[in-house]
Amino acid sequence: MDHAIVAHSLTKRYGRVAAVDDVSFEIAPGEIVGFLGPNGAGKTTTLRMLAGLIRPSSGAGTVLGRGVPGPSLRDVGTMIEEPSFYPYLTGRDNLRHAALLHGGVARERIDEVLAFVKMEAAAEKRVRAYSQGMRQRLALARALLWRPRVLLLDEPSNGLDPVGIAEIRENLRAVAREGVTVLVSSHILAEIEKLVDRILAIEKGRLVFDGPLSRLLARAESLTLRYVLRATDPAALEAAARTLGLVTERSADLVTVEVPAERADDLVSDLVAAGVRVTEAQRDQDDLEDAYLRLVQADARPA
Amino acid sequence: MSGFVQVVRAELFKVLRKRRTYVIAGLWWGLLPALGLIIGRLVYVNLGASFANEAGGIDVAVQQIASPFGLARIALVGPAYLAPTFYIIVITLFAALLIGEERGHAMWKTVLVAQPQRFAVMAGKIAVAMLALGGLLLGAAASAALLGAIGMTFLPTDWSGEWGTLAGLFALQWAFSLTGVLFAFLLVFLFKNMVLGIVTVYFLPGLLEGLYSIYAATVGFQPVNRLNVFFQTIALQQRLEDIPRYFYTANAYAPARAPVSELLAGLASGGADIPPDAISQLLGSSITLPHAALVMAGYAVAFGVVLFWRFARHDVE
Repeated sequence: MDHAIVAHSLTKRYGRVAAVDDVSFEIAPGEIVGFLGPNGAGKTTTLRMLAGLIRPSSGAGTVLGRGVPGPSLRDVGTMIEEPSFYPYLTGRDNLRHAALLHGGVARERIDEVLAFVKMEAAAEKRVRAYSQGMRQRLALARALLWRPRVLLLDEPSNGLDPVGIAEIRENLRAVAREGVTVLVSSHILAEIEKLVDRILAIEKGRLVFDGPLSRLLARAESLTLRYVLRATDPAALEAAARTLGLVTERSADLVTVEVPAERADDLVSDLVAAGVRVTEAQRDQDDLEDAYLRLVQADARPA
Repeated sequence: MSGFVQVVRAELFKVLRKRRTYVIAGLWWGLLPALGLIIGRLVYVNLGASFANEAGGIDVAVQQIASPFGLARIALVGPAYLAPTFYIIVITLFAALLIGEERGHAMWKTVLVAQPQRFAVMAGKIAVAMLALGGLLLGAAASAALLGAIGMTFLPTDWSGEWGTLAGLFALQWAFSLTGVLFAFLLVFLFKNMVLGIVTVYFLPGLLEGLYSIYAATVGFQPVNRLNVFFQTIALQQRLEDIPRYFYTANAYAPARAPVSELLAGLASGGADIPPDAISQLLGSSITLPHAALVMAGYAVAFGVVLFWRFARHDVE
């Protein structure tokens, strides 16, 4: 079976700095793969190389069996970094311009993709009046315009509120059900964990994990998680957390605690049982990402 | 080929939705011939019945300025005598729209995925700029003729004139504009700051040519001195003295400037003898059209090669 996407020793150097360093992976047709890594890890550079926008310093990429840049990119839809449009054109005219540029896109298809991302009502407004969420949805519509067989999406839910993130996720699920191969990057695992089956993790330009999400999640069970807590009496909260044997840090009225993952579910009830009125508890996402990355580094496959 | 056609269709779609296209058209098609008509009318009303028109000189002058042919000729000549010329202003505005804004709005990453054939993308954009310029030139000639026809109802003018020659000069000036388009596209593409790119398009050729002229005037190539001894040694003095004839700005508007001596001679007629060469020298229209065509073709090849080469290798960051 031909792979939909192949990266073969992709490397991009800027002077002596390797933004992407010898990255190789293969993605089968119809697969939905998450591309995870912190900001600056090399995700966008890798996606740009696969989209034919920048030339690798060495190595090669193929999409749908043909080298990029090349004609196979006509079957690729992309959202790379911030969604960009001609602000003086309406949403519909931006799609029409892209359709003309690509060729072979029927006018009805524009209505279809606008309906798919629920943008029909705003289609006649100039893009300069769009919110970030509307721009993201219009960018997805544009990426789908020519019925691509491969989607390369770079942080598609960046800057969106939870409702917007859920909408984008739903849209991508619907796209994936049609057999489109999707490579979607994020620096927040929680954003893509409900969407993808496989994770590629990259850090400092090197691929450090390539495997199923389940393996990553299983390994994460042994992690220590950080929670940020708020209580009516922060001092009492801090004392109770110490009594429970948790590493604790206090900053003004917020208390940060480190708790083993297996005890996380009971954290709030334990504190309440200790007489603390907890008013807010939030998992520290960034810390979770750090923990994942530490984990995947340990699991890094041989180069 | 299909990629090229798709780019042309898409970029035309964009150009036609840009307000500045219509502002340029309004200025060129409306303002310039209207001014010619008003001046013609003022001259005729104030001097037509005076002693100055005894030999018919004022009637001839009005015909030169405000007849359909006169206005059409002004639509060609007038824009070539602004500084920077209206031609390069228009070309640069299209360069800003078709090239500069792609960077400004971060659209290259979208354009080059929708249409990955980079040669087709750049060729298509150049073609659209040329089509737009062609449309503007054609419209300028047509609107001038139309206003001139209206002027015939209240001015002593008629349709006479060398229309074939004028049409040829319009076509030639349009063809020459390709070099300007390549030059403007190149600089606007190379400079990350679009405004800087535009300013450079306006002033770089004049600056370089001015510096050269200052050097030639103050230091010169003869007699031998410390600053030109190298040129003396390699016996290039004659070539260096000839260099201004190969300057971009000296040749870029040759077709538009070609009728200026005929125009001025016409204005002064009533018969005054003005040596055409003197006027031509004065107004920078002494370059012959075949010479200018060769020079501009050379510049076009140079600018085009660098532009396509840089664009093909450009990393869209």
